[in-house]
Amino acid sequence: MKGWIEKYLSVVRMTWIQTLEYKANTIVGAFAIFSGLAIEFLIWKQVFQAQGATEIRGFTFNGLIAYIFLCMIVGQLKSSWATSIEMIESIRTGELNKYLIRPVSFFTYHFMMFVGHNSLFYIVYTTILILFPIMLPGFAFMTNLHVGGFIMALLLSIYLSYAIYYCMVCFAFWFGEVRSLVIAYNISNIVLSGQIIPLRLFPDTARDIIYLTPLQYLVDFPVSIATNQLPMELWLPKMAVSFAWCVAMTLAGAVIYRAGIRVYGGFGA
Amino acid sequence: MPIRVNALSKHFRLFKREAGLSGAFRSFFNRKYEDFHALREISLDIEDGEILGILGENGAGKTTLIKLLVGLLHPSSGQVDINSFTPWNRKTAFLKQISVVMGQKNQLWWDIPASESFLLNQKIYEIEKTEYDRRLKELVELLAVEKKLNVQVRRLSLGERMKMEIIAALLHNPKIVLLDEPTIGLDVVSQSKIREFVKYYNQQYGTTFLITSHYMHDIEALCKRVFVIHAGKSLYDGNFKELINRVNPRRKLQFEFSEIPNSGMLDSLGNEFEFELKDTFLRAELPDSDLTRLVTQLFKLSSPASITLEDLPVEDTMRSFFANPEQFLQ
Repeated sequence: MKGWIEKYLSVVRMTWIQTLEYKANTIVGAFAIFSGLAIEFLIWKQVFQAQGATEIRGFTFNGLIAYIFLCMIVGQLKSSWATSIEMIESIRTGELNKYLIRPVSFFTYHFMMFVGHNSLFYIVYTTILILFPIMLPGFAFMTNLHVGGFIMALLLSIYLSYAIYYCMVCFAFWFGEVRSLVIAYNISNIVLSGQIIPLRLFPDTARDIIYLTPLQYLVDFPVSIATNQLPMELWLPKMAVSFAWCVAMTLAGAVIYRAGIRVYGGFGA
Repeated sequence: MPIRVNALSKHFRLFKREAGLSGAFRSFFNRKYEDFHALREISLDIEDGEILGILGENGAGKTTLIKLLVGLLHPSSGQVDINSFTPWNRKTAFLKQISVVMGQKNQLWWDIPASESFLLNQKIYEIEKTEYDRRLKELVELLAVEKKLNVQVRRLSLGERMKMEIIAALLHNPKIVLLDEPTIGLDVVSQSKIREFVKYYNQQYGTTFLITSHYMHDIEALCKRVFVIHAGKSLYDGNFKELINRVNPRRKLQFEFSEIPNSGMLDSLGNEFEFELKDTFLRAELPDSDLTRLVTQLFKLSSPASITLEDLPVEDTMRSFFANPEQFLQ
């Protein structure tokens, strides 16, 4: 077990070294989210001013901004679409061979690469999250329990998001080019997971359908815990369902991968 | 780790379309597929410590065979047994005993120094620290790349990169190493250094090497035995020198006369042997038995100022072999 942990932690270490090779790219990447936060702030300011409202579906302006800022941060932290595109490319071009000939798991190796690349964001975003209760007091992280619940739900969200992408990646064994599938999912998932507009502002029918899918556990669930929008008695049952989705998606990915690797041609390498 | 290959076949389903935009449109709505038989019923035994050359033209099936042997591909039929492992099950214990270097593919991390990729391999293969340090030092010294260890891989020359790839592939001390075109694109000095290294490493550690290369000098220098594949089928399995002799049993003779004999004597020799006479030099390309007779006759005519006897270039021989391989092996 120690060897296994060291093996995959060294992948994280490699991604850090690689990221730090390019200073400008690293700095721009780390602070890129601020442009998105500024745009969301300006849009919702206009919406509230135009409607002359102090509340929209129970959200005050500050409450909504806190919610949306958190959604963007969670959305960014769990988003592994860039890693998925890389994985599809490696199947298509035969680069996958270099993982197959070594005692490493394609799934875990890339998950750790994704974690490694994103860790830089974790540092910047954690700083924002620490400043959150000071900048927007009373809207998020009211107690330590909320902080703990949020971290648990966030970890589940990061893993679940990767496991969903992985299932799609594995279809590249048959179709070669599935980047459009990943991009289509990525665009719809940004909206349907509540990353741009809170799920509570969706029409009831649409929201009910989304609640049947794992999408609500990607962004809405951790953010609802942090902003105290979800009663505490629902935290554990929802975490159990989120965990079950993680298991289901991991198993589905493993089954698709096992079938896919049998038809893999290893072309181009 | 002996390798046993039995009736191994692999076919791919490839889609075909006509060239041009209209072909692309037609294929979008009605895609046509055809089966491509990359390997047909290949059987092969390789013993521990052998260096086997796998030969064949482009598309003959060499790389497919290598990919099946290391478990990158599942076969359509047939078996491979490597020390009781089936490669495509990809058991960790098996993966720790093999290694592959593909000359046209980079396995090192491109943007960071090779030394970092070596450290990653140490963790991946769970190599004990002192053993790792010892092996790294030895390999780096043998391949003379001490000064390049901390340079970004993308800034290395092709030859230096290949040496780093070889180090990465050997750090975990694999029992079997597959080298697919290891000297492709390298200058003659780098090619020869890699050959010397493989030879030394094989003798020192008894590692089995399987090598594919279009450079016949690689094969000539390293492999006693070769396995020739043609159109996915096994064509020859045996001694490389015997193959060369079968394809072209001739050798080149250059005989320099100290004194030109009279033309009548040379004319009678010309009726028996084919040769070329220019100034004081007689040149001929003949099979061994004829050469011996010719040289005996020449000594009777005149004492030589100089005499050289050499094999025909192996590259030329193999080029004529691959032009029509079946003809030579009937």
